[in-house]
Amino acid sequence: RLSPRRRRRRGPAAEGSSPRDGDSMRCQVSVLYFARSAELAGLRCETLSVPREITSLQLWEEIVKVHPRLALIRDQVVFAVRQEYVLLGDQLLVLQPGDEVAIIPPISGG
Amino acid sequence: MEESEDVPKDFIKLKAEKLSVDEVSELVVSPYCGAVSLFIGTTRNNFEGKKVIHLEYEAYTSMAETEIKKICRDVRQKWPSVKHIAVHHRLGVVPITEASVIIAVSSPHRAESLEAVMYCINTLKASVPIWKKEIYEDEYSWKENKECFWANSEK
Repeated sequence: RLSPRRRRRRGPAAEGSSPRDGDSMRCQVSVLYFARSAELAGLRCETLSVPREITSLQLWEEIVKVHPRLALIRDQVVFAVRQEYVLLGDQLLVLQPGDEVAIIPPISGG
Repeated sequence: MEESEDVPKDFIKLKAEKLSVDEVSELVVSPYCGAVSLFIGTTRNNFEGKKVIHLEYEAYTSMAETEIKKICRDVRQKWPSVKHIAVHHRLGVVPITEASVIIAVSSPHRAESLEAVMYCINTLKASVPIWKKEIYEDEYSWKENKECFWANSEK
């Protein structure tokens, strides 16, 4: 939710936005890696700056830019955004600063 | 004599320590219930001819607990007479023959708790973000439940 002072406009003034990206509002999200995706990325969590409005496939591509080895499992993963499963595809995500985005390889509990 | 409240409860725990069948059963026992049904998932020592040394589990813990709570809510909608539900899942290293998961459900009569336990383990395997790594002598493998709808069927 945007406060009344911050309207959608171009420019780097909003919190969390990157000076390199003047076209869209960005925000910092917590990206969590599990199982095989943690092995390929080499870490379990990090903060990334991503566009606030983005399709799930575009979000995947942003993350793969940072960790190219993740491309190996592209056909097997889904996201969990704010702890709801999201397939990689056209679904439009509206992200908030601090949102958790988890890479979810095929599960094997039980 | 006043009847004490026996409010239906869900007992959900993800922990690294050895699981206890006694502990999980006792959580769901109720004077209003004639049945306690139990499922115990244990670690097999072999997979496709390879010797399994042990299993290792990891979880997206906060979401796993939320998903298990959803399963409990669904159980209560499908089987309203179910009283208590307990789901304990082990994380970290699980040696061969030890339990990875214990599910217990109590109900006044046996049909509901038996069906609810089966529903719980089947749905857990399809929807709860927990991962199992099988450690063999020379290698390891991240397992994929066939219930997982986004897993590749081909390896």
